Amino acid sequence: MLACLCTVLWHLPAVPALNRTGDPGPGPSIQKTYDLTRYLEHQLRSLAGTYLNYLGPPFNEPDFNPPRLGAETLPRATVNLEVWRSLNDKLRLTQNYEAYSHLLCYLRGLNRQAATAELRRSLAHFCTSLQGLLGSIAGVMAALGYPLPQPLPGTEPTWSPDPAHSDFLQKMDDFWLLKELQTWLWRSAKDFNRLKKKMQPPAAAVTLHLEAHGF
Amino acid sequence: APHVQYERLGSDVTLPCGTANWDAAVTWRVNGTDLAPDLLNGSQLVLRGLELGHSGLYACFHRDSWHLRHQVLLHVGLPPREPVLSCRSNTYPKGFYCSWHLPTPTYIPNTFNVTVLHGSKIMVCEKDPALKNRCHIRYMHLFSTIKYKVSISVSNALGHNATAITFDEFTIVKPDPPENVVARPVPSNPRRLEVTWQTPSTWPDPESFPLKFFLRYRPLILDQWQHVELSDGTAHTITDAYAGKEYIIQVAAKDNEIGTWSDWSVAAHATPWTEEPRHLTTEAQAPETTTSTTSSLAPPPTTKICDPGELGSGGGSSAPFSISVTVTLALAAAAATASSLLI
Repeated sequence: MLACLCTVLWHLPAVPALNRTGDPGPGPSIQKTYDLTRYLEHQLRSLAGTYLNYLGPPFNEPDFNPPRLGAETLPRATVNLEVWRSLNDKLRLTQNYEAYSHLLCYLRGLNRQAATAELRRSLAHFCTSLQGLLGSIAGVMAALGYPLPQPLPGTEPTWSPDPAHSDFLQKMDDFWLLKELQTWLWRSAKDFNRLKKKMQPPAAAVTLHLEAHGF
Repeated sequence: APHVQYERLGSDVTLPCGTANWDAAVTWRVNGTDLAPDLLNGSQLVLRGLELGHSGLYACFHRDSWHLRHQVLLHVGLPPREPVLSCRSNTYPKGFYCSWHLPTPTYIPNTFNVTVLHGSKIMVCEKDPALKNRCHIRYMHLFSTIKYKVSISVSNALGHNATAITFDEFTIVKPDPPENVVARPVPSNPRRLEVTWQTPSTWPDPESFPLKFFLRYRPLILDQWQHVELSDGTAHTITDAYAGKEYIIQVAAKDNEIGTWSDWSVAAHATPWTEEPRHLTTEAQAPETTTSTTSSLAPPPTTKICDPGELGSGGGSSAPFSISVTVTLALAAAAATASSLLI
């Protein structure tokens, strides 16, 4: 079973809330976060391809469709449609933040196991980018005045490969990690789209309306 | 009631006359038409190399009494080949639909059975109210890492076949094409066309799932398309249109992050604005001096377009000489426009 130690993440320094008067609001940083998810999704595509080839068949086969066994502690992107729609901003951002915190931890664990130096380099690069995304989400939350989620005392998980897991099951864990990461990045793009639309000042909408009608 | 029988195209079939003895004297008819006795083997009808035309109602009669002994409704057909199945979500995130067809006809009735599995969970595929070969699935959960597996089996009286496809939620997303694509010339702008369109009405939530668009346009006389990708908005102004040429314009849509591009929309046609042409009358041939009433000179355009025809015409000059001069200048202007088309 995958587990993770991420003390360094949970203790990010609190970003002071931005001075509201005169600042552009959280809009630009939401846009930046959205852009980061797109960049990461693109990066992940090549990284995942390489990593799955390293795992070998059947993991790198396009039709590979295993049942979701194990990997229970992975944060799941899947959510009921209506629940997702009705998430308030704070919860939406918190879920993203918590998910990536865990995923980053697991990825760092992956890095330790990876065989080739090149693969380790790619993973390290991706981890850095993912760290950047976390920081960006933290910035948006701070700008909106939401507290960063803190782990409950005593529940801080530690990463260690389950000794009972066979080599195959460990590879399955890796497979699901990458899958979940990709899905989260797609979900985050939608999450931040929603946030972007809500933050859009009404004046901008009116301007667009006029332009559309031309002369 | 006649006995219904299905036989394979190209095969041979022997139809016994019910319970009659082999040596009974019978006559066979198909759809009321007598059949030649050379097709008979005793009282049995032998049909070789069945063709579609062999389908029909076969009846055998006691030769003397014309008593109807037996009827067979024969259908000639084929067992089904592997069906073609595809699924698509044009209503993301509401759901998706799957449609199927057989690559070649069987000529006899087929029944299809579709099952949808999400991991180990069976999902309901609701039949389309209008289309026989389509059914719809509603998403319960979004952002799933588990693939969907859609299986279809088809069977008829002569055989059966099946196929299945597996896919991720995101890969089958493909919106319908944008609607109501309209292209309009822009007054006083001979190189512009204003294009507007609407997001497809089937896309349920453009707010949370915004679409981006791809526009392509070309003058009818050329084969090469120009392309523009637009990340938002449902309008665009083309600024490099060739003056006076009719354009064909199409738009496609795609979810911002996932899935594939829609098909191209219905094409819109438009020609950029051109200056009102001056009417060339018979004065152009003969150096007749006529009044200006028979030639209608357009008033000079208000925008400053580089048009040599403008020079000296002043609009509506009544001197006969100036008419022929204007004609010459108008021809020169036409030549100048032609050379600016870069063709």
